[in-house]
Amino acid sequence: MSNLVILPIIIPLIAGIIAVFLNKKVVITRGLTKIFIIANLAIVSYMTWIVFNSGSIILETGSWVAPYGIILVADPLSIVLVLTTNIVAAACAFYAPYSLSLKKEQHYFYAFYFFLISGVSGAFLTGDLFNLFVFFEVLLMASYALIVLGGDKVQLRESIKYVLINLFSSILFVTVVAFLYGVVGTVNMAQIAERVQEVEQKGVLTAIGILLFFVFGTKAALFPLYYWMPKSYIVPNPVISALFGALLTKVGIYSILRVFTLIFIHEINLTHEMFIWIAGLSMVFGIIGALSTNNIKLIVAYNVIPAIGFIIMGIGIFNQDAISGSVYYLIHDMIIKSALFLIVGVIAYVAGTSDLRKMSGLMHHYPLLGWLLFVSAFVLAGIPPFSGFIGKLLLLKGALTDEKIAIVIIALLTSLLILYSIMKIFIRGFWGEKNTTMELGKRSMKGFIGPIVFLLTFSVVLGIGAEYIYPSIDTISAYLLDPEQYIDSVLKE
Amino acid sequence: MIFAVLIPLLFACFVPIISKIKHKVHTGFFVFVIPFMIFLYFIRFVGTGFSPIRDTYNWIPSLGINFDFYLDGLSLLFVLLISGIGTLVVLYSVYYLDTSERLGQFYVYLLMFMTAMLGVVLSDNVFVLYVFWELTSISSFLLIGYWHFNERSRYGALKSMLITIFGGLSMFAGFILLTVITGTTSIQGMIEQKDIILDSTYLPLALGFILLGAFTKSAQFPFHIWLPDAMEAPTPVSAYLHSATMVKAGLFLVARFSPVFSGYEWFFIVVSSFGIVTLCWGSYMAVRQTDLKAILAFSTISQLGMIMAMLGFGTKVAVFAAVFHILNHATFKGSLFMVAGIIDHETGTRDIRKLGGLISFMPITATLALLGTFSMAGVPLPFLNGFYSKELFFESTLNLNEGMNGVTNFLVQIVPYLAVFGSIFTFVYSVYFFFGVFTGKKNLDKLPKKPHEAPVGMLLSPIVLVLGVITIGLFPNLVNGSFLAHAAQSVNHAFEYKNIQFWHGFTTPLLMSLIVVGIGVILYLTRTKWDAVYRLLPGNWSFNKVYNVILQTIDTYSNKVTNAYMNGSVRTYMAIILGTTFIVTLVFLLVTDGVTINYDNLADITILEISVVLIITIAALGTIFSNNKLAAILILGVVGYGVAILFVIYRAPDLALTQLVIETVTVALFLLCFYHLPQLRKRTESIRTKSINASVAIGFGALMSLIAISAHSSNWFDTISDYFLETALSIGGGTNVVNVILVDMRGLDTLFEITVLGIAALAIYSLIKLKKNEEAD
Repeated sequence: MSNLVILPIIIPLIAGIIAVFLNKKVVITRGLTKIFIIANLAIVSYMTWIVFNSGSIILETGSWVAPYGIILVADPLSIVLVLTTNIVAAACAFYAPYSLSLKKEQHYFYAFYFFLISGVSGAFLTGDLFNLFVFFEVLLMASYALIVLGGDKVQLRESIKYVLINLFSSILFVTVVAFLYGVVGTVNMAQIAERVQEVEQKGVLTAIGILLFFVFGTKAALFPLYYWMPKSYIVPNPVISALFGALLTKVGIYSILRVFTLIFIHEINLTHEMFIWIAGLSMVFGIIGALSTNNIKLIVAYNVIPAIGFIIMGIGIFNQDAISGSVYYLIHDMIIKSALFLIVGVIAYVAGTSDLRKMSGLMHHYPLLGWLLFVSAFVLAGIPPFSGFIGKLLLLKGALTDEKIAIVIIALLTSLLILYSIMKIFIRGFWGEKNTTMELGKRSMKGFIGPIVFLLTFSVVLGIGAEYIYPSIDTISAYLLDPEQYIDSVLKE
Repeated sequence: MIFAVLIPLLFACFVPIISKIKHKVHTGFFVFVIPFMIFLYFIRFVGTGFSPIRDTYNWIPSLGINFDFYLDGLSLLFVLLISGIGTLVVLYSVYYLDTSERLGQFYVYLLMFMTAMLGVVLSDNVFVLYVFWELTSISSFLLIGYWHFNERSRYGALKSMLITIFGGLSMFAGFILLTVITGTTSIQGMIEQKDIILDSTYLPLALGFILLGAFTKSAQFPFHIWLPDAMEAPTPVSAYLHSATMVKAGLFLVARFSPVFSGYEWFFIVVSSFGIVTLCWGSYMAVRQTDLKAILAFSTISQLGMIMAMLGFGTKVAVFAAVFHILNHATFKGSLFMVAGIIDHETGTRDIRKLGGLISFMPITATLALLGTFSMAGVPLPFLNGFYSKELFFESTLNLNEGMNGVTNFLVQIVPYLAVFGSIFTFVYSVYFFFGVFTGKKNLDKLPKKPHEAPVGMLLSPIVLVLGVITIGLFPNLVNGSFLAHAAQSVNHAFEYKNIQFWHGFTTPLLMSLIVVGIGVILYLTRTKWDAVYRLLPGNWSFNKVYNVILQTIDTYSNKVTNAYMNGSVRTYMAIILGTTFIVTLVFLLVTDGVTINYDNLADITILEISVVLIITIAALGTIFSNNKLAAILILGVVGYGVAILFVIYRAPDLALTQLVIETVTVALFLLCFYHLPQLRKRTESIRTKSINASVAIGFGALMSLIAISAHSSNWFDTISDYFLETALSIGGGTNVVNVILVDMRGLDTLFEITVLGIAALAIYSLIKLKKNEEAD
């Protein structure tokens, strides 16, 4: 037992509260934000080191022993995701002052930012299903606040759909937790897993699992539950889009990954087989969405969906390679998606429009930005030697080992179209004659580039340096496929 | 060896710095050194006593991805082409590209390509091969789009990227399959285990995936369409990537995997038929072109088809002819591209209809073109290398092995005729290329520039290549034993060295050559009369159209499909989400036999409960059907109070209190902002929509009830709540268990629920405040 586990949740909470009170003193808040997030990143890095060297860190909050109290569990999967969250958040903290108007900063952006991180970290770290619901509420409430920050008409219009659909799924979530409690008499995930295993997931349990899947699937923006996502992701400021793209849907997919590798694993032929179908449909419809628009922000937002498809595909296939692939892809996608949102944010800023039809020849003024986008396109599509490649390799290997040919073909075609959707921005926006109608070259990119380069460095390292990272991911995958480890670490200590 | 592969890439990092002084020294002079050094490094391996070398560097050993370089005869042939032609192309580019161009970028891309291509041909590890393979596609994309202010360049770049990366991804899948089958990532390892591969049920799939990669890269019919558009690249690039090296990567791949697949009859059928069709189609299409580079592009397609066909045949003669022709094609086609570049550079046009009679202005260029085109046409002269390989090709078509498959036997019958058919057109366009440009009428007034001979530097590279054509033509055995034989041996392990001779009697292959020349001359002389025929087929129909239509369709349909369901209506979204959840969960509930209804342990139902429930139900329905918003709000309150009464009945006073407070506050809030709420409108939806919505709503509600009942009926375990009752006082120190749970046992939940409320308050405050501020401005 160690109190360390609470730190990644509580530090952002405290930082958020401080930010509330310092809202008018923007310069101080900016500085403190950077200090807090870097400190948090350092602590999480240290925790990651501990988890991989001496096993999961468990905290029984208030000393109420498992399975009765709320248990926080920093296991290899959750700590790696918290680490990635903090990496993305750090980049956003440095991007925000350049991207946001002073007013938005003063109106509690930094507070909401920290509350969001606190909620996300909590969702990753909790070992309690009801507590997971609570952290979902925290991060959703923070996201509602962020999405309307500024109060534009279009923001309010899109946020109402966002709020309504997410509210519904929250209601469903808490209802399903009640159902599950009715059957197994506990909300501790390890104990749920143990008890579901005991009765071999008989009776109504599979149906409850599927309902839970739909709850998380709505948050994760899976087909056909993602309607709220694309347009609501593009209305706030790019830095907020980046946080959303990297974190929100990923919490949903993490929950599916957790629940369907720990608890509902006794009817794999039914449940996980369906995931593969949903994966294929998410890829197809997501990429069709990305190709359907000339709004560069929307292109990136729609690209969230096929990426989620790739991750769920690995969960569906459910072998060592595929799960490794899912985890790798999850980390990769958190980083590259936020980088891409930040990049298109800069593009829209310097070009003065998000409409691709009105752009051309940006390369003449912003070559560096062009190359960053170019590299990102290949990272996203999983072209070697970048991070997406390793994840894709593992996923496809897992799929082919299990003779799932159709999903492999869909995945490959989707990759090609993902590349096409982003290269469209490069070819039409950056290539071509100098555009004289746009006031180009006037707006400076100062301050925007650093965070983007920081994130892309991780994408490159995750690809080229896979030798240093893959063994850890493989450990996570082996750990996930052996639920006893989780159950034992929580209940038998 | 890794150094030889990576040095261009490393050097590329310095090119942007060097290019700063491009106005003093052309950047190309610095770059020139790199391929030349690589060429010198590899040329020392040439010799009869050569045996393969292997060199391994770890990259991602835990995934089996390592730089396993394997230099055998086949790789040696390719690395010499890449570095040799690379040297000449860089030299040529110095004179072709003006210092006002963005030279830094150009050479960075070119060097990137060099590393990639060397990597492709040297990697024994399939995944590293794939990494380099995609890198060639990327650098090719950048080079085609070098002059990106041209619409055609952008179009060509995108097309080449989409098609070659499509193939690359497919090949990647093929590689993973082979890895899964054999458990190794090494190509040589796979060759050793070829029996396992040949027995695998995945064999057709793996072969298909890999061939798709090879065919797209090597511009085989019908994927050839990207190559003509790739001609938008600067001519040195066309000469280098799109005729001598990159497009041969597909051939390399097929050659590399021949030892694995050659025992499989469908390998022969697919590869040979694609090759032979490409040969015919390419040469036929080349005749119709008017742009010099387009002629060469289609000619390249056709020649690649020919080599592909020979690799498909897989016999000793065919394999030798294939590697021989890879070398020969690089020499004559490379020089011809450079010639086309010179003509373009010196006259300002590449349109063969405008050109003519240039021989008197450009005698040296004309000589080079003459030798190049005649070698390409396979004219039987003892100093043209093209003739030898063409002759060997004919020979190989004649002695193919009959197989067990009907398709095989049919192919064996028709291949010689198709070979002759395709070669006739090759002859025609080759002759046309030379005579159309250099002889005939001079129409100087149509030319944008006054033509004159190219500078010496520009002529140097094509001269070297044409000297190669002649040297190999005169002394074919010079290259034969020293490295071609090794190359052939790595493709077909049974290959044995044989001397090449110009004259081997009056044989059928020679007869075929003579037929080609005879009919070719007639067709050329009467070419104006055939125009109508050429126009007839393919007419308006082409694979280019298919590509354009596909992209168009993606554009329009993706828009239509997406707009069809993303219509912005929350009602539609909810209907789909609820409908899907309902159907899928219901199926799972029924399939897993999840419905359990158990009447034990239930409280009695009295008239009181029934009437409360009835009131709630009626009130809920009332909210839906009410058109008056005030009424709707109040009726909604009834539902809430009804639930509170149920709590009272089932003895949960704290819940009842909470529910009452919430309900009162909600109704009060609703009434407070009543004025601002929009008017309820009568929904003008069709009966169909209404009934769908109704059934989704009812179905979902029923499903939830069913699951709730089933869940309640299957309480197989003791709940943890007993523990709370026991310990609330002893550990928690409180007599009210609910309180202890809220503030102690699950205090973390409460802390964050409070946070949620805090965030909500702050969000609303910020929303109002920010709005106000903006209004004040």
